[in-house]
Amino acid sequence: MFRNILVPTDGSPLSRRAIKQAVRFAKEQKARVTGLYVAPPYNSRLIEDGAMFNFVSPRQYQATVSAIARKHLKAIETAAAAAGVRCQTLHALSDFPYDEIVRTARRRKCDLVYMASHGRRGISRLLLGSQTSKVLALSTIPVIVCR
Amino acid sequence: MFRNILVPTDGSAISRRAVGRAVRLAKAQKARVTGLWVGPVWQPNLYAYDESVPAGFISPRQFAASIRKIAARQLGAVRKAAAAAGVRCKTVSVQGTFPHLEIIKAARRNRCDLIVMASHGRRGISRLLLGSQTAMVLAYARIPVMVCR
Repeated sequence: MFRNILVPTDGSPLSRRAIKQAVRFAKEQKARVTGLYVAPPYNSRLIEDGAMFNFVSPRQYQATVSAIARKHLKAIETAAAAAGVRCQTLHALSDFPYDEIVRTARRRKCDLVYMASHGRRGISRLLLGSQTSKVLALSTIPVIVCR
Repeated sequence: MFRNILVPTDGSAISRRAVGRAVRLAKAQKARVTGLWVGPVWQPNLYAYDESVPAGFISPRQFAASIRKIAARQLGAVRKAAAAAGVRCKTVSVQGTFPHLEIIKAARRNRCDLIVMASHGRRGISRLLLGSQTAMVLAYARIPVMVCR
């Protein structure tokens, strides 16, 4: 029924659980998985006024972000490979991860988004993660929210 | 992976679409479907007792009968969709003041492992809002929830 499942990750334990579930689900559905990691873009505000104390060059930033993205996306790739599910991963830079998630879903012709609720405890368990609720609001395809 | 899919319906067009999706998913997963309809509880009409027979008064028995009729109609649609797809199906109708709590309870009681429900897709600006019950179910559910648009 589903052919291409988008799995956005931020590397949190809960989103790792979403990855595991999504891959299992993809295997049963004979679907493939598209992994996505969204990082904030390079921002010159990172440079404190004049002081080059914490200066990060765009190139350094790019390298750091790619390394982190690789690490998080690797988790999806290994899970998919272990289950024998076709998998494709990409990372993007955006200030608005939800926007990137919805756009990627459209661009990659995904037909399901499988993401974590960002399960918090106690009272804030009542809140969805900000990105999850925005994806729910904007997505035109079904979204599975896992806890 | 999913064995028992709970699909709450309120009879709206979009929730009928969610039912269709749930049934198709159940077929693909060889799962069964549990249809749920939550109705309101009977309440005495506290503001209309100044006349001997208040307008719009409905006795608990009449109320129960009309609830049963509506439930049968809404859940009949679920059963028919499931039967057409050859999916095992059970339907439950309950009454409660807070539908989202009934949905969570029904999921637990029937050992469902996925809830498929409509987003209550609104248009325009309010498309940004989830239906109130969907948002509450998302907040309270311990199992995955699939929100359909």
